[in-house]
Parts: sequence; C-alpha cells; structure tokens
Amino acid sequence: MTTITVRRDIALEAKQDAGIERERLGRRGTLVVNLFSSPGSGKTSLLEATARHLAGKNSMAVLVGDLETDRDAQRLSPLVPTAQLTTGGACHLELPLVRRGLEALGDPQVDFLFIENVGNLVCPASHDLGEHLRVVLVSTTEGDDKPGKYPKIFRTSQTMVVTKTDLLPHVPFSVSAVTADARRIQPDLKVFEVCARDNTGIDTWCQYLRQERTTRLAAYS
Amino acid sequence: MHEQSLVRNLLKQVEQIRQSNGGSRVTEVRVQLGPLSGVEPALLSSAFAQLCTDATVSTASLVIDQVELLANCEACQTEFEVHGFQFRCPNCGGSVKVTQGEEFLLVSVSMDSAEFVEETAT
Repeated sequence: MTTITVRRDIALEAKQDAGIERERLGRRGTLVVNLFSSPGSGKTSLLEATARHLAGKNSMAVLVGDLETDRDAQRLSPLVPTAQLTTGGACHLELPLVRRGLEALGDPQVDFLFIENVGNLVCPASHDLGEHLRVVLVSTTEGDDKPGKYPKIFRTSQTMVVTKTDLLPHVPFSVSAVTADARRIQPDLKVFEVCARDNTGIDTWCQYLRQERTTRLAAYS
Repeated sequence: MHEQSLVRNLLKQVEQIRQSNGGSRVTEVRVQLGPLSGVEPALLSSAFAQLCTDATVSTASLVIDQVELLANCEACQTEFEVHGFQFRCPNCGGSVKVTQGEEFLLVSVSMDSAEFVEETAT
C-alpha cells in the first residue's frame, strides 16, 4: 500500500478561477457584489430599490440564483439587465453558473454586478463567485440572534444590511444587539439599516456602494 | 447540503492522484476540516458513502481530521484558540487573523499499487 500526501485545498482550483474572474471584472470597472440572506429577507427588494436609486447615475446588472422559477428575475428585469440562474434544487451558486449568466447577458460592461445568491446562510458562504464585496442581509422579522448561528457567512462578509426597519416598532429585534453579535465574529463589519418599501437608508447604502467601487477597484488600475 | 458537490470535487481529485501514481484501488482518503470550513463532518461522511461508487474507490474509507480554530492578533500578535466564534483578541481586544480552521484539505490518499493487486490475484 502507498500513501500519497498532498495537503491540498480541495477548492483551490475553484478559488483560482474566482480570482481570475474577480480581476477580469475589476479591471474593466465592474464591482461584483455577492448578496446573502435567509429566504425572504429582502434581497430582491433591496436590489429593486438600489436599481431605482442608481438609475441614470451608475449602470448595473443582476444575476439571480434560485432553486426553481424566475420570479425574482421577473421583478428585476423591467429595471435592469437580469439573468436567472436556476440551480435545479442545489442550495448554492458556483462560478460556472455565474459565468453562464454573464454570457446570457452578453457580458455587459456595468459599474455594478450584483449576484443575488440562493436564500441560505450556510452553503453559499463556502463558494467564492469572484465577488469584490460580500453583503449579508438580516431582516428585522428573523430575530437578532442570527450572526452567532451562522458564523461563517458573517466572518467572510464585509457588510451587513438590516432590512425591513419599518417593522422595528412591531418586532422584538434590536439593531444594536444584532450589530454587537455580528461584530464579535467580524469586528470590521459595516452595518446599514434600510427599508426598501419607503427607501429609508437606500441613499446611504448606494453612496457606500459607490465608495467601495472606487476604493476596491483602485487596486486594478 | 453542499457536501455532495464538495465530495464530487474531492473524488475527482482522488481519482487523478490514483491514476498519476499507478494505484489500482483507493483504500483511504484523509481530509482535514476546520470549524470555519462550512463543511459538516457527518454530512460529508454520508455524501462520501453515497458517491464513491466507482470500483476503484468503493471500498475506501474516509478519515476526517477535525482541527481547532486558531487565530493571531494583528495588534499584539497573541495566538489563541477561538471559542464560540468570538474573533477578538482576548489580550487586547484587537482584530485577528485566522491561522487555522477555515480549511477543507485533502491530506492524503492511500492506495493499493497495481503490482500488489496482481500478486494477490495469482
């Protein structure tokens, strides 16, 4: 019997591919933003509000991941170029699907490419899709104890967006508690509060996106 | 439940290693998992059992080495084990860098050599 010792990162090839995509898109001025959340936290609503706010100022496209149906893409496509990535039951997106989605859109040269990941705080966290920025959403209806339960996604994200803040008077949710819990895991996490229904916080969120685009893409020029 | 796609990828790499080393049959696959790998050991084992159907790997056992989560303080350089996913330095409260525990590594592949199988067959 022979034992071959390799000590190799199983995802090494996927990570290298993601790095190539990140650089390719970064060089041409596209900031790739990967959005994570539980189902129903408001990823699509945040993107609708973002698309309306950025209209006429910045260009954007969206790749929407879902297990089945193109319902989210139908909501977004009247506003911005959108491709649906249907995973056929799989719980997360992988880079080949993202590349197919980009091809379907004609590989557009946009300022922002948003990837709306499958609603799941577990599996998507382990897959690099070539993003420059990871954003995790927590809605006020989910409870403020989420970060500690899903440490990996909070550890690997740079930003947390608390959504549905209009419901704060009616639900037992504390923005300071969720922020403190998340920052125990990721002390540098930026935190935003938004309500996509009445656009509260969308201006600040979009300003942040523009700043991030400038600073993160400076590395490629 | 992304363990199935991870196992498919793992088995592809194991098969490449078997072929390039002239092995006939894989007997053991050893991996290393950290608490922040996003991989659940029990689900990994069951996905492995389900998916290793090829004759060259069907009798292989999967050995999972679970390692602890270690971090290093960027300010005062204290090294410590992270408990309860609290990523602040216990010494000075500074930001930390994870040094171990994010990985999902293929550590080693054990196999019978082609010659060995021929010998036992005769």
